[in-house]
Amino acid sequence: MLLFSAYRSQETIRYFQTQTISLQPDTVQAYIVDFKDDVDNDTLFQARSKEGYPVLYFRKIKTSVCFDNKCRLLDIVVYWNVTGRYLGYELPKGEFLSKTEHEPFKPEEYTRLSDLLSDPLSPLANFSYEELVPKPASAAGDLDAVSSATAKNVLDYVVEGAVYTTYKLWHIVYGPAQKEVTDLTEKRLSPGFLLKILESPDASDKLWALNHIRGYVELTPELQNVLLGFIDNNQFNRAERAIHALSPEALKNDALQLALLEKYGRVNYALKNQLITKLKEAPQLSEPLKTALARSLVSANGELLSNTLDLFLHHRVADPETGRIIAGLLQNDNNFLSRKAYTYLKNVKIEDRIVEEQLNAYRVKHNL
Amino acid sequence: MEKVKRRSALTALGALSLGMTTPGLAKGEVLAEPYKLQKKTLKTDILVVGGGTAGVVAAIQAARAGRKVILVENGSQLGGTTTTGGVAFPGIFFAWGKQVIGGIGWEMVQEAVALNDDTLPDFSIPHGRHHPRHQVRLNGQLYAMLIEEKTIEAGVQIRFYETPTSAVFQKGNWVVQTVGKGTSTEIVANQVIDCTGNAYTASLAGFTLLRESVTQPGTLMFQIGGYDFKSLDLKMIQARYQEEIKKGNLVKADFRNNIVGLLRSAGDNIQHVLGADSTTSETHTKANIDGRMSLLKTLRFLRTLPGCEKTKIIDVQNETGVRETYRIDGHYKITHEDYVTGKVFDDAVSYSYYPIDVHDENGVVPDHLKEGVVPTIPLRALVPKNSRNFLVAGRCLSSDRLANSALRVQASCMGMGQAAGAAAALASRLNKSPLEVPFADLRKLIEEHGGIVPGSAQKG
Repeated sequence: MLLFSAYRSQETIRYFQTQTISLQPDTVQAYIVDFKDDVDNDTLFQARSKEGYPVLYFRKIKTSVCFDNKCRLLDIVVYWNVTGRYLGYELPKGEFLSKTEHEPFKPEEYTRLSDLLSDPLSPLANFSYEELVPKPASAAGDLDAVSSATAKNVLDYVVEGAVYTTYKLWHIVYGPAQKEVTDLTEKRLSPGFLLKILESPDASDKLWALNHIRGYVELTPELQNVLLGFIDNNQFNRAERAIHALSPEALKNDALQLALLEKYGRVNYALKNQLITKLKEAPQLSEPLKTALARSLVSANGELLSNTLDLFLHHRVADPETGRIIAGLLQNDNNFLSRKAYTYLKNVKIEDRIVEEQLNAYRVKHNL
Repeated sequence: MEKVKRRSALTALGALSLGMTTPGLAKGEVLAEPYKLQKKTLKTDILVVGGGTAGVVAAIQAARAGRKVILVENGSQLGGTTTTGGVAFPGIFFAWGKQVIGGIGWEMVQEAVALNDDTLPDFSIPHGRHHPRHQVRLNGQLYAMLIEEKTIEAGVQIRFYETPTSAVFQKGNWVVQTVGKGTSTEIVANQVIDCTGNAYTASLAGFTLLRESVTQPGTLMFQIGGYDFKSLDLKMIQARYQEEIKKGNLVKADFRNNIVGLLRSAGDNIQHVLGADSTTSETHTKANIDGRMSLLKTLRFLRTLPGCEKTKIIDVQNETGVRETYRIDGHYKITHEDYVTGKVFDDAVSYSYYPIDVHDENGVVPDHLKEGVVPTIPLRALVPKNSRNFLVAGRCLSSDRLANSALRVQASCMGMGQAAGAAAALASRLNKSPLEVPFADLRKLIEEHGGIVPGSAQKG
């Protein structure tokens, strides 16, 4: 849920969403950026906490909003959070926003503007400047249910009477500056900072952080614990990205392998397969994990069985105990299962008399 | 002397005639006998007809359940709408934050995403107007290869370029005749799953079918490029487009009366081919030609527009994709009311999630489901009335037109494909008809293979 805080005073108009990452600004850094747009300002400001973590970003916008052969100055400061999400806007002292007929915005229109700007999936992304207002009837001729409907749809995503202002601001928020914001955040990443972002109640902040662990920072025990906590059936993306973030280096650790085994017993089929696939990245399988997975083969089916055997093949698991469990599948009525077991045992030489006897029996039965 | 000459001439003639029957062969060449049609009889537990979205999943499920399976496909690759049709976004698998379609379809989609270094969409995005954001975009050709590998790995015998010509139920088995390139095959199968999308095998078997007098248009998927959309004078382009329609040079319905939409989408799921029907070679030929002719004509028009002079075709699918043809008259017909209220049937075997989505000549305006609603599919909707040992999966399930407009999408077809494959596997093992299979066993089998059955703890 998005919560808004807003206040107006005689001097300043500010509309902000609740900050989801609990860091306090301490210092401000200025970055010169070529935004490649028509805004007359090339500076992106980064506020940092005492720890040196980015807290938020802002850009002072002075630009013209032009339509009907007239231009009007738009003077505003736009804010982003550290993952590039829209955070809010602020007007310089004494400034206010106005609509087509120079009528000032009402408080609810400021709120609506902030609400519209907070929607990264707004259809404004795909409209061209020309499509923003309905065409005069004379120009439209017998056009065109689709054009008229499109223009009508635009009105759902703009402040009425401030179509071009809304459109321009939305494209500033989600334009090149947004990428600059996340690029600058990436340069300041650390395990501690990512832990802060992962505390955000916003799902997209969390996903952003999960996508910036592997290959960016060391997977500390604290981060690892948070990742393990995300591996559950509640949110597939979060669980899938948490599994993705586990590195081969971390998977060396037997304790982590056992923790994943514990998760394996609790998660749904799709995530079970993700966990098995992930274990292929481990340098080796711990004995307890290997034994538990081998025992699970007795009741595994379909993809889960294939995936587990692929995992064992990858790690060349050839101990007699695992071999006997797999050889037991050779007798299964299900041809798919017995064939999978045969293929495995053919590829991995297991020196065990019982396994060899069962293999020979299978060969005789199937004329192999 | 004269005699000698005549004898020499005859000898030479003899050599010539011998040469005509046995020409001089180059090294490595052999004489080929005239081709004789290969007639075969094959026996199997389960025959799946149609290797599209539902058929592949049904075949894999049945084979992984240990049954002998033959999959007959009249094209050259698996995947149907997802691959040959080019609609390589087989949503939607998640509803209201929870996974509702999993199992074999999801497994294939996830592997294609991983092998192409793609990322899954954020499934926590709200539904409604954002439903396209839930679509998982795939590399269609990669997906075709992956699912073929999985089908073979499951032990399914694939027969490309074949189509059935008759289906008769005899002594507890189906006898299905097929023809293909140089083949004429009799397939004796204990169970048949019709995944043709057109209920074609059901029709051959003599079961009643349903069809609307006007069906939804099809779409030829393509990609165009060579212009900068943002720099185009769209008002002028719309006006020119309308002029061409008035003159009769372009057809209003071909691109939904929306040339800007065509340019913006660059060809992605924008064309409409009215009356497109893939049921027979003749109707599908017409749908393909109509789609390509309309595209060519429109391409030539685009190249006359300022800013679009260099418009070019980047890719075109081989077939026009088809949305709607025939549906079976099943033991239960899923209604629009059932769908939009999310009725949970006692014999529900899978979920479906999509807005009501009827395309017509003016375009499409999806009617989104209310929050929390997740429709379900009963096994009875997959079984034609008066049938034995016969199932369908995919868009030809028993449903009214509005419900079908949502049920027809790919993820839903994958869910019902898995259910049909499991039901056929159990029926074959127990020597029963699918509706006689104990439902608890069916649920167990689907869930063991990762499928999500309504009312089960697996959801989410």
